[in-house]
Amino acid sequence: MSEAVLVARELRKDYPMNGEAVHALRGVSLRIDRGEYVAIVGPSGCGKSTLLQLLGGIDVATSGSVELLGTRLDTLSDRELTRLRLTRLGFVFQRFHLLPVLSARENVELPMAEAGLRPPERRARARELLDYVGLGSRADHRATQLSGGEMQRVAIARALANRPAVLLADEPTGELDAATGQEILEVFRRLNRDGSTLVVVTHDDHLAREATRVVHMLDGRIRDD
Amino acid sequence: MSALAWGVKSLARRPLRTALSLAGIAVAAAMLLDMVMLSGGIDQSFAQLLLSRGYQIRLSPKGTLPFDTEASLSGTSAILATLRHDPAIEAAGAVLGASLYGRTRDSLITVFGYGIQPEAQALYQVTAGKDLVPEDTVGILLSDPAARVLGAGVGDSISLLGRLDPQVAVAGVGRRLVVRGMVHFVYDYRGQPSVATVLAAMQRLAHDGIQDRASLVVVKVRDNQAVERVAAGLRQRFPRLEVNSVADLVGHFRERLVYFRQLSYILGSMSLVVTVLLIATLLTITVNERLGEIATLRAIGVSRATIVRQVFAEGTALILLGATLGILLGLVTARYLDAILTSFPGLPATFSFFVPRADTLSRAGLVLVLTGAVAGLYPAWLAARAPIAATLRAEAT
Repeated sequence: MSEAVLVARELRKDYPMNGEAVHALRGVSLRIDRGEYVAIVGPSGCGKSTLLQLLGGIDVATSGSVELLGTRLDTLSDRELTRLRLTRLGFVFQRFHLLPVLSARENVELPMAEAGLRPPERRARARELLDYVGLGSRADHRATQLSGGEMQRVAIARALANRPAVLLADEPTGELDAATGQEILEVFRRLNRDGSTLVVVTHDDHLAREATRVVHMLDGRIRDD
Repeated sequence: MSALAWGVKSLARRPLRTALSLAGIAVAAAMLLDMVMLSGGIDQSFAQLLLSRGYQIRLSPKGTLPFDTEASLSGTSAILATLRHDPAIEAAGAVLGASLYGRTRDSLITVFGYGIQPEAQALYQVTAGKDLVPEDTVGILLSDPAARVLGAGVGDSISLLGRLDPQVAVAGVGRRLVVRGMVHFVYDYRGQPSVATVLAAMQRLAHDGIQDRASLVVVKVRDNQAVERVAAGLRQRFPRLEVNSVADLVGHFRERLVYFRQLSYILGSMSLVVTVLLIATLLTITVNERLGEIATLRAIGVSRATIVRQVFAEGTALILLGATLGILLGLVTARYLDAILTSFPGLPATFSFFVPRADTLSRAGLVLVLTGAVAGLYPAWLAARAPIAATLRAEAT
């Protein structure tokens, strides 16, 4: 039997809005095994980004639980959860969110520096990752000097910096044109082939088709898995 | 990359805003520096002035400070004899100050006259010609302003009048003297025309009747560590005289100029408040603009401590750059302000209001760094508390 990397049980998430609760998630259960490439799809507002944030421990569920490699996230302190995100999870965002004052290499080194890796080791690892995403020659360019596709590839390299157990991506091609989006698809395909576990929230049919498993969401529930 | 280097780079993202803030911080830091120099500088400058000839104690008429009134000591020779017998005392000399008048064509020029004992004088340095010798009762020394108004130089003879009756503008005594040298009087205000003769000559010009008078007696103690002890002994020995060490005189001076100190504290505090507000405002705006970036950093596992450190690093970078500019600006403005203040009548030209001292400057630097830290508190709290998920959701829409 495959090893479960992420397990969500009966996740519910309510947001207060104008004095009433908006139910973003209405009891979602999901198991993601090592090496899976999962696409979460659905219309806007169906709760897929909220689900990703709960799986990644950057938001807290109203009820239910998330386990990452057997550790329940709701039992961890803020400091432990931050450390877990740093070392066990990788995040890729729609808007890249690189630090514009840093070079591509420095952006990739950032999580490693935070994890306490020594400068020579993190420099070598950053080089290796930038080569992996095809940006070895752009390592010393500032984030602002890169194209959208290049920035997203740097963001992927940053997400992989501390060898996470799972990579979570929220609309990773949302800000990119079709051709550039293809580059990202290729990187994800290669990552999964090399053994990475991926969970991608997307509107992009091409991206969803690449996944080995597609989870359809509607109105805060999983409609089809 | 260090947090500070990262902070500098972050500030460079908005160069104009950062430059304006730095200018504001520099002005506030310059003001603080000037106020710190002013609060401590007056004391130090005054002490340096009093010690410029090495005399650490002054004796003056009871209830007065040296040259504060026209009161004078009588029996000066006996006082000096007693002092010169004290083995702890290296030298003692009397000084008599009086207004004198020099005649030029059809008018009388007022000059200030010092009667001194050349073997123990605490008032001047010779800049040209020769010093007086104790027996030289016809010699005189001139300051540059006195030489100008009297139209005299070394080797010339001048007439000086004393004991002028203001009702009839007739002098009680006149004397012809030969200019021996040009001197710089350390206590003269800028442009003050002053002359010096030996004490006996000045006593004859200034006083009728009892001749053995002086305005004050200066004392040089052999051991600097023993000054206060010797001063205390002199107070016992001469209960009818005012005995002040340099420390006592600085204390009196400080009391008189307490408003300067208060002013410097108030203005210094205001400049600190301005600095705090400037830095806090800039950092708060910066943090608010970068909440998305901060939420992302938190999401990828960057700790609150690192975020807080980063905000403080930006505050520190701002204060370091601003303070460096502020020090330069402060030194320039201090020189300018000093020139204005020391041109006030009655102040010694060699006196300085703004004296840069290592201890006060380092204290000001420390206060500025603390100011940067205080200013970073709210923005750092804001950054550390940024809700990750909500901020990322807001960024995505």
